[in-house]
Amino acid sequence: MERRHFLRLLTGIGIAGVLPMSLVRPALGATPSRFLITVSASGGWDPTALVDPKGNALRADGLGPVNNYPASQIKSIGRLRYAAYPDGVTPPGTDSPGHLDTFFAKHYTRLRVINGVDTQTNGHETGQRFVWSGKLEEGYPSVAALAAAPYASQPMAFISNGGYDFTAALVAPVRTAAASTFTALAYPNSLTPSDPALRSVGFFSSPTYTAVQAAREQRLTRLRVSEALPERAAQMARLQTVRDSDVPLEALLSHLPATVSAGLKGQAEIAVAAFASGLAVSAGLNLGGFDTHGDHDEDQTAALTALLEGVDHLWTQIEQRGLQDKVTVVIGSDFGRTPFYNTADGKDHWNITSVLAMGAGITGNTLIGATDANFEALKLNASTLEPHSAGLLVTPKHIHRALRDFLGVPAELDALFPLPVEKLALFA
Amino acid sequence: MLTISTSTRLAQRLAALGILLVVFAGLLTPVGARAASGASLPTFVHPVLQIPRVDVEGYGAISLSLVLQDEASLRFAIASAVPATAGLEPGATFTLGDGLLVIPTVKAGTAFHALRLQRLPGDVFQLLAAEEVVLPGQLDYTTQCAGCHGADGLGGAVGVSLKNCVNCTSLASLESKIAGTMPLGNPAACTGTCASTVAAYVLDVFNGTSSGGGTAMAAIEVLPLEATLRSAALQLVSRLPTALEQARVANEGETGIRGVLDGMMTEPAFYSRLSEIFNDWLLTNRYLSTNGGEAAIQLMRRYPNARWYDPGVANRGSDYVTLRNTTNDSVAREPLELINHVVRNDLPMTQMLTADYVMLNGYSAKSYGADTSIFTNEWDATEFRPVRLTGVPHAGILSSLMFLNRYPTSATNRNRARSRVVYDLFLDVDILALDGARPDGTAVDISSPAPTLENADCVKCHSLLDPVASSFQNWNLAGNFVRARSWYTDMFQAGFNGTAFPGTSMQEPLQWLSQRIVQDARFDAAIVRLVYTGLMGQEPLDAPGPDATAAETEAWLAESAHLDEIQARYVAANRTLKTLVKELVLSPYWRADGLSDPAQGVVHAATGPARLLTPEMLHRKLNALFGFEWRGTLNSYATSRNVLASARLLDSRQYYQQIYGGIDSFTITVRLGDPNGLMVLVQERMANEMACYAVPNDFLAQKTGRRLFAGVDITTQLNTAQERAAVRATIQHLHAYLLGETLALDSPEIEATYQLFAAVQVEGRKRVGVSELTTLPALCQRNNDLLTGASLNSGGVDGRLRNDPNYTIRAWMAVVAYLLSDYRFLYA
Repeated sequence: MERRHFLRLLTGIGIAGVLPMSLVRPALGATPSRFLITVSASGGWDPTALVDPKGNALRADGLGPVNNYPASQIKSIGRLRYAAYPDGVTPPGTDSPGHLDTFFAKHYTRLRVINGVDTQTNGHETGQRFVWSGKLEEGYPSVAALAAAPYASQPMAFISNGGYDFTAALVAPVRTAAASTFTALAYPNSLTPSDPALRSVGFFSSPTYTAVQAAREQRLTRLRVSEALPERAAQMARLQTVRDSDVPLEALLSHLPATVSAGLKGQAEIAVAAFASGLAVSAGLNLGGFDTHGDHDEDQTAALTALLEGVDHLWTQIEQRGLQDKVTVVIGSDFGRTPFYNTADGKDHWNITSVLAMGAGITGNTLIGATDANFEALKLNASTLEPHSAGLLVTPKHIHRALRDFLGVPAELDALFPLPVEKLALFA
Repeated sequence: MLTISTSTRLAQRLAALGILLVVFAGLLTPVGARAASGASLPTFVHPVLQIPRVDVEGYGAISLSLVLQDEASLRFAIASAVPATAGLEPGATFTLGDGLLVIPTVKAGTAFHALRLQRLPGDVFQLLAAEEVVLPGQLDYTTQCAGCHGADGLGGAVGVSLKNCVNCTSLASLESKIAGTMPLGNPAACTGTCASTVAAYVLDVFNGTSSGGGTAMAAIEVLPLEATLRSAALQLVSRLPTALEQARVANEGETGIRGVLDGMMTEPAFYSRLSEIFNDWLLTNRYLSTNGGEAAIQLMRRYPNARWYDPGVANRGSDYVTLRNTTNDSVAREPLELINHVVRNDLPMTQMLTADYVMLNGYSAKSYGADTSIFTNEWDATEFRPVRLTGVPHAGILSSLMFLNRYPTSATNRNRARSRVVYDLFLDVDILALDGARPDGTAVDISSPAPTLENADCVKCHSLLDPVASSFQNWNLAGNFVRARSWYTDMFQAGFNGTAFPGTSMQEPLQWLSQRIVQDARFDAAIVRLVYTGLMGQEPLDAPGPDATAAETEAWLAESAHLDEIQARYVAANRTLKTLVKELVLSPYWRADGLSDPAQGVVHAATGPARLLTPEMLHRKLNALFGFEWRGTLNSYATSRNVLASARLLDSRQYYQQIYGGIDSFTITVRLGDPNGLMVLVQERMANEMACYAVPNDFLAQKTGRRLFAGVDITTQLNTAQERAAVRATIQHLHAYLLGETLALDSPEIEATYQLFAAVQVEGRKRVGVSELTTLPALCQRNNDLLTGASLNSGGVDGRLRNDPNYTIRAWMAVVAYLLSDYRFLYA
């Protein structure tokens, strides 16, 4: 069970009210200079099938090969290396943006790969928490929530599509649905919101609606002022704060495709449209299908193809909106998968994973970190980031220390959820 | 509250003055009075030094309260001095002759000090000396117990609170408990003198002191029983109380409401709500067909008849999808139906882990290949019955296919994830929080062959985790029972709480484990916590940490003591969940409606919040109040084919179930408790649409059958005193019916709503025929029968309601929209 976070107990003047004023202040008028998208490959992906390939050499311990493709087929482009498709698996067509060759050819110049990240766990919940918050234990917000916190008063500051989206009460997560849903909500008084010609015809005429809204606002104020129970008064204050915030969904709709796609692509379309319309600051995208305990090669390939197609689509959306210099994308997963196959041709959980980044501020065509032939993480020199036996193992804590510094998370906010660990130039 | 850091600051200050000594209590020279304990124990909670009983030479016993006046000079002023309460032990002595106040033991946070103070002119006391005291049992407690139970004994994420603990009823009971089972995983470490002194320490220091809970609890003003009944009816069975139920409560008071609640808890709607509460916890609805047509069926690979409903693609009939989804959902609901069965039949909740059967209906029985002749109607999806599956040693939910797949393991994980979940869900223990933080991976020596057995850092968790994990050894990755040929020897073997699974047992390890778990008081605490959370919409307060304020500690003490009492009543009632529900519904925390003392606001900072209704609860509430669901215009209500997909608050693809904070039990598993920008728009649209549908629909009915407007007609304006009175009375009724508010006719809230009606009706009437139509908005017009869909204009009789020449219907729509978007409607 998730424990109520102590910050909840402090709330009395709205969600952002728990924060020092210096953290809240940017939301009062500033436009975020950078947007963040996290893409979670939920279930635990296999980096050896993507950016940390090993090949099919038999392991010395008799556990078989790491992968079912020859090492000779491992591809490289620029400074990056990527996997081949396993034997017996039908890859997607090369015209698919999710085909490994196609994807890396198109994106390697903007991709930064960090291999050999030790999540120290093989539990899904713990792994997701660690990878997306930098803290193995409960209580830290996801980095996407943290990035949105200074802009908490924006109505859709943080969009969540599931996965680890704990916010520590810093910001209200917003979940999304189909485009038609947004249309209905953009015009809550409209009888036929989907028809632009008739959209202005409402359940109530304009004067009546204005009267209802004014009465509602006055009533809530009366209730809040007379409420004796502090938490109830705080709830009313939060409701009032959110109601007072303008939610210009029309702007969001103007940036959405006519038909919003399904799955990860649809999540990407909504997130980028929300950025473009000034409604959101960060978004957590989420794709399942990676927990391949059986038929690993087939299922993991399908999941990775969907992931790469989604990321490609995301980048297309970002470029179409002209946001490529403002949106940073971080892609990761709960952990990795075993460097050997189980008896069901599957792969179980393994604590080593990779993290990918692209977009604003990220120098692409860069590979950091490494693993050995058995997919064990190698230690890195903290300065050079080259493998060094006397160095340190990179964990999600290092990733988030670097990511927070890279994103410019305010010091007061950072101090609320400290990550005391070596600072590595993983994103700079 | 004096925290550890405050105590340390005091100690540092004293040390700087050169007057701090550290001695053991047993070695102290008596200074005039023996150490008090329990309620008599003097305490220092910055800045107050409270001495319940001071024996004053030649005078008598007083209760003295001193306030630290000056931290630099360590001088105290007298805050109060009153005769001591009878029955207290002496906690200090004061000698009038030399003005010396001697206190052998003062509890300051988690430390103890012996103090000597000198009275100075002006009734000021100067601290002369402070010696840190270590009480018998304190050292053992600190080293062996505090890691889990907290330095202050108030518990933590792993250990329960030792205040009012189950074994704290007597020294012998607690000593026996400690000697036999503590510390967990290594009970031999504290037996004999250790066990007896630690037990005495726990009883003296953590029990018996005034919690302040009584004062805190007394400050909560509760809802009247009538309002409690309405609130309970809406929450538990999604309807309003009947007149008979209201009369029973009015006549019989609390006894009456208990009886009414008993009746409600036999209704099907209660079990729907119960399943929601338990699914929020178990998340086994991840396998419902809404997450994939065969999400549950896919788990049944070992059952050849799992897909009995599929005759092959070429032969599928029109009912294929219905049969598939019904079968899948019947399989998926099995663990929640087990809980329903236990509750419905007043069985102890322990059976949710110990039941030697699964719950099947005719559809799922076919999939499992079980006998379907036991069902009265094998095609009734609601008829679930207990069934023993051949070759499956059932252990309630723990052996459920849904549970085991929802919380899977792997070859490398060895069931440890399942073990962690068992601790979390059924024992209210967060393994990951053990000892505050897990060892940093880079700092742990894992070079030994079996670090989880040999490295003390690892053993700390794994001695708890692995015996439970090993108890799952015969349940494979797919959640099926497959007796393991061998089990790992490099981890702790099957067991629980320091007791190994007896190899001679006739039971399977998992069955043995489930029996042990339900005997553990933490299982009862977990159930209380779960049901509390389900009903309140928030979890009970966490035990205060070292930085907690005095108010936070007091709040927790009051709430936890109350929950302890409720837990005791639940246990005494054979652990029937209905008892627990009744106790919680009648508790001041559920009924909290205000505070008699505003000063208690700081203690009750988190008490009694109204919960934001979940989308499912809001959906049912609307249906209960209006007699129809929110799923579009009423003219096509009866003929709409896809009821579920058009229910605005139940569908997440086109509508608002997830936007409004709902979960799918798969990728979205946590409900949103506070509205965001989109959610308030959902509220606004709901209020507008439902007002548009409900108001004309109500006027369509005969006056005696109306829910909302029995006192007015669509012709009732504000032209006469009689009309104005009727409108005002109707507004009073609407506040009561929709919001549960009992208001006088002359109350400001009635007046505010009246003014809204008046403004809209009078001004709107002027616009009719000018800038507005006589007719109602198209979607609000009533052209077809709600239940049959038949035209209301047939047989030469035009029963439609389309026009609103006086603007009264639209004015009432405005009033209803205003009330439906009110805090008191949207929260419960």
